[in-house]
Amino acid sequence: MSSAGFTSPFGANTNPFGSGRVDSGPGPMHRVVEEDENDAVTSPTTPSFGLTNAGGGSVFQGPFGGDATSDAPPSGLRSPLNPETYPAQYNFGRRTSVSAESLKPVADTYDNWTPPVHPKSQEQIERLKEAMSGNFLFSHLDEEQTSQVLGALVEKPIPTKGIKVITQGDPGDFFYVVEKGSFDIYVNSKGSLQPGPDGMGQKVDTISAGGSFGELALMYNAPRAATVISAEPQCTLWALDRMTFRRILMESTFARRRMYESFLEEVPLLSSLTPYERSKIADALKSQKFPAGHTIIREGDPGHSFFLLELGEAVAYRSGNDTPVKHYHKGDFFGELALLNDAPRAASVVSKTEVKVATLGKSAFQRLLGPVEGIMRRTKYVGVKSGVEDTDPLHVPGA
Amino acid sequence: MAATVAPSQSLLSGGGGLHPLQAQGLHAAQHQSQQQLHQQHHQSQQQSGSDGESFDLTSRKLTLDDFVRVRTLGTGTFARVVLVRPSHGTEAERSKVYALKILRKTEVIKLKQIDHVRHEREILADVSGHPFITSLVASFSDHDFLYLLLDYIPGGELFSYLRKFRRFDEDMARFYAAEIVLVLEYLHEQQGGIAYRDMKPENLLLDAEGHIKLVDFGFAKRLGNNDNDHPVETYTLCGTPEYLAPEVIHNKGHTTAVDWWALGILIYEFLTGYPPFWHQNPIEIYKQIVEKPVIFPHDPPISDAAKDIIRQLCTVDRSRRLGNISGGAARVKAHPFFEGVDWEAVAQKRYRGPIIPPIRYPGDAQCFDVYPEDDVNKEEYTSDLESRYDEYFKDF
Repeated sequence: MSSAGFTSPFGANTNPFGSGRVDSGPGPMHRVVEEDENDAVTSPTTPSFGLTNAGGGSVFQGPFGGDATSDAPPSGLRSPLNPETYPAQYNFGRRTSVSAESLKPVADTYDNWTPPVHPKSQEQIERLKEAMSGNFLFSHLDEEQTSQVLGALVEKPIPTKGIKVITQGDPGDFFYVVEKGSFDIYVNSKGSLQPGPDGMGQKVDTISAGGSFGELALMYNAPRAATVISAEPQCTLWALDRMTFRRILMESTFARRRMYESFLEEVPLLSSLTPYERSKIADALKSQKFPAGHTIIREGDPGHSFFLLELGEAVAYRSGNDTPVKHYHKGDFFGELALLNDAPRAASVVSKTEVKVATLGKSAFQRLLGPVEGIMRRTKYVGVKSGVEDTDPLHVPGA
Repeated sequence: MAATVAPSQSLLSGGGGLHPLQAQGLHAAQHQSQQQLHQQHHQSQQQSGSDGESFDLTSRKLTLDDFVRVRTLGTGTFARVVLVRPSHGTEAERSKVYALKILRKTEVIKLKQIDHVRHEREILADVSGHPFITSLVASFSDHDFLYLLLDYIPGGELFSYLRKFRRFDEDMARFYAAEIVLVLEYLHEQQGGIAYRDMKPENLLLDAEGHIKLVDFGFAKRLGNNDNDHPVETYTLCGTPEYLAPEVIHNKGHTTAVDWWALGILIYEFLTGYPPFWHQNPIEIYKQIVEKPVIFPHDPPISDAAKDIIRQLCTVDRSRRLGNISGGAARVKAHPFFEGVDWEAVAQKRYRGPIIPPIRYPGDAQCFDVYPEDDVNKEEYTSDLESRYDEYFKDF
């Protein structure tokens, strides 16, 4: 174990792990004997612990304090922490891993899943949107995902007072939005509902219309942290289960990613990308929507990003010519030369219908894959099909 | 120990047949203290004599009776890791120790972890032999349980040392981070895109010389297994709350980039003693992860290079996250935090571990916490479950 013959490759003072830690001292078995005499060094409450370096590679000889012969666990020996430099409320115990059910996209499983749709009035939808608007689990969803999630919420009448909607300690599968009425939240410090009259524990909150609860259940199945009980008759809830929520997000993301990848395969400039690189680019593409008649890129402007047309139609014009020089449909791309240089756009591209584009900036591209020139030089670029620009992209103007 | 051993079921264990030398010590020693167990073990060794027939662990299908249980090293929601010794073989063979990971089939099914358990076995088999990864020796199963026989890593969890020391200085943090970077480089770039997905101090053990061993591949996933090497992002939320990457929380589909995020959290926790995002309520942790930047405390002072690598690893935008951007792991290794590190020397374990675990003899388990030996859940693996699910476990 004492890696014979190895000396610090950097000299004594440049060892990145601190001087003296390159193996040159006695082996670990010696160390165990030594540590019985080294209580002071191993005290975890010594603020400078571990910072001193006595040299000779024996700084940490006693991680278990002076009681190496005991079978007590190391973490059991921990002394109280100094609250001034340590968060007092942090739970220093082992953290349990969490996991949701395995999810596989429809494309992989060949079943015909589509998100459930429970009809709602426009007014109800607006209320639900409002209730979910500030929630970090929904705020990043795109329009399509949001409308699918809203459609999937199912109405759950709670006819009487005193119905336990969720029970502390039970597995959790649903998230709820209060449509009507109010609900009391109780927490029992034992971690679960107990038998007896006070089994629900302390009342900690009341949630009324527009409020929501149980969001953790949308991530994975964790025991409920509280008991929620109807506080009045004739309440109504909207419920959303985890599997539906996660599948809606997964299916739309998965489909979009595969679409981007297949579009990217068609871009000659990127033809030498490996599937892995293409998937990284697909990951970084951002979706954008434009109304009809919007100028997406303008001739003469410096080009910074590249576009894939996801939905709708667009046309390219050159100045002084009212007839479009090119028509774009779903899957077409334009502005890709911006990935290569800052040359001005060779044409303007205007949306003909409402369009959805996926876009990627030159800087993001280069961060992910390095300079485009290098990628293009992997294979000889044949400028058969480019978006607007007909020039050989390797022929940088002015170069 | 009685719970997971389920001696009455071992007769039903499929495949491989039973070895004539059953571990008498095993059954009789139920409910006895560890010390008694030790004695028992020695007796049974003496009984079977020192000239036992040679027992090659890799030569045939194993059963639980091939091992004597010493004690539990760790427990999880559906698994338990136990220190074991071979129950027969030559004296040299019987003096070896292993870590046996025991998974209860009913719990695996109930918690919908079948896929994860299968990936764990497959990936462990593929990556065994890497200097910083625990080695899979064999796998087997019986009526109620799945077993993974692993090398025993005696130094215990880095978690225990971190909590005991409160925090590590930058040299120590750098040493462990460097070894982990090599593991991630290997998994991501040399193994065709394996995402580990559960990086944390609890899953890093120290070997006898104080080097890292990554254990628990329960959430590891090979991303390139769909069709011809095409890496596909994955969607199942898994990991540990404080270490989850934002894209996992948002269910955007995630890749190996999650491990680089987790490395940032890990370095932060090494240096401060606690993770950057924490709260009693997990929902609050997730809110912070997706909304808040990493903030550093005044005490202890953290170097600019360390702050920078943590910020670059814990970057929400994956097109900017160190490790995921162009250059991959090489860019991480080139970061100023690792300035002066001889990566060849790291790979060859030529740097001395900053903590040398106090190991008194090869099977010493004092570096591990003590756990109850009894399982809480002992639901029956019914014939109905067996007929529905056993085919998924046939690789064990």
